[in-house]
Amino acid sequence: MSRVKATVNFIHAWQHQDKIADEVEAELRFHVQMRTHANIKEGMSPDEAQLAAQESFGDFDRVKVSCCEIKRGLPFDLEPMRMGLYIALACLAGGVSLWVVNIPHDNVLSILWQLGAIAVLMGAFLVGRRNNRPRHD
Amino acid sequence: MSKAKAGLLQGTLDMLILKTLLLGPLHGYGIGQRIAQISGDELKIEEGSLYPGLYRLERRAWIESEWDVSENNQRAKFYKLTRAGRKQLIIEEQNWERLASATMKALRAN
Repeated sequence: MSRVKATVNFIHAWQHQDKIADEVEAELRFHVQMRTHANIKEGMSPDEAQLAAQESFGDFDRVKVSCCEIKRGLPFDLEPMRMGLYIALACLAGGVSLWVVNIPHDNVLSILWQLGAIAVLMGAFLVGRRNNRPRHD
Repeated sequence: MSKAKAGLLQGTLDMLILKTLLLGPLHGYGIGQRIAQISGDELKIEEGSLYPGLYRLERRAWIESEWDVSENNQRAKFYKLTRAGRKQLIIEEQNWERLASATMKALRAN
């Protein structure tokens, strides 16, 4: 259920990018305000308190941009899906090949179809092999 | 001589956030405060870096958020742990214990 909600949030983030940026800013400003109040309680002047709060928070704009980018990111990891995608592509290519083999070889178009299907099958195999090679970096 | 504060290892912040939210829903500022409190102010976290961590955890559906009113009557975003987040916390704790135990063994070896 949470994953469904995360997907809904992802779609919402893409549809309402300005609203999301405003929400992120409001959340971060709340944090700085709370820290400012805490600093005042500890005896700082309001100006000192605000400055200290901004310093302890770090780069406000960088954090805001970073949060907005994460919010717009995919709600799931693509890596585990990659192998499934290649298998699906290989099955599709295999299916097309079988279908094409059954077409009579009496014209140029059918031969081109067959060559195309073989190329797709080979391509899927090569791309799959390259992307699933163990990485050493 | 002042005591040096420990920096956080990669992934540790995520585990600490999950652990903090196990105690109940909190806004970002509260989470930072509670982490400082439970670590006895030993863990140094740049306050802003907490938020990308929170957004990453929310994207993974380990936590979820909603806007509510804070203790000082301001609108604030509160985070809470999901069921998937609880499971993840158990995994993270086990991994951490394994890593800490292996590191201790290595350090004690002659």
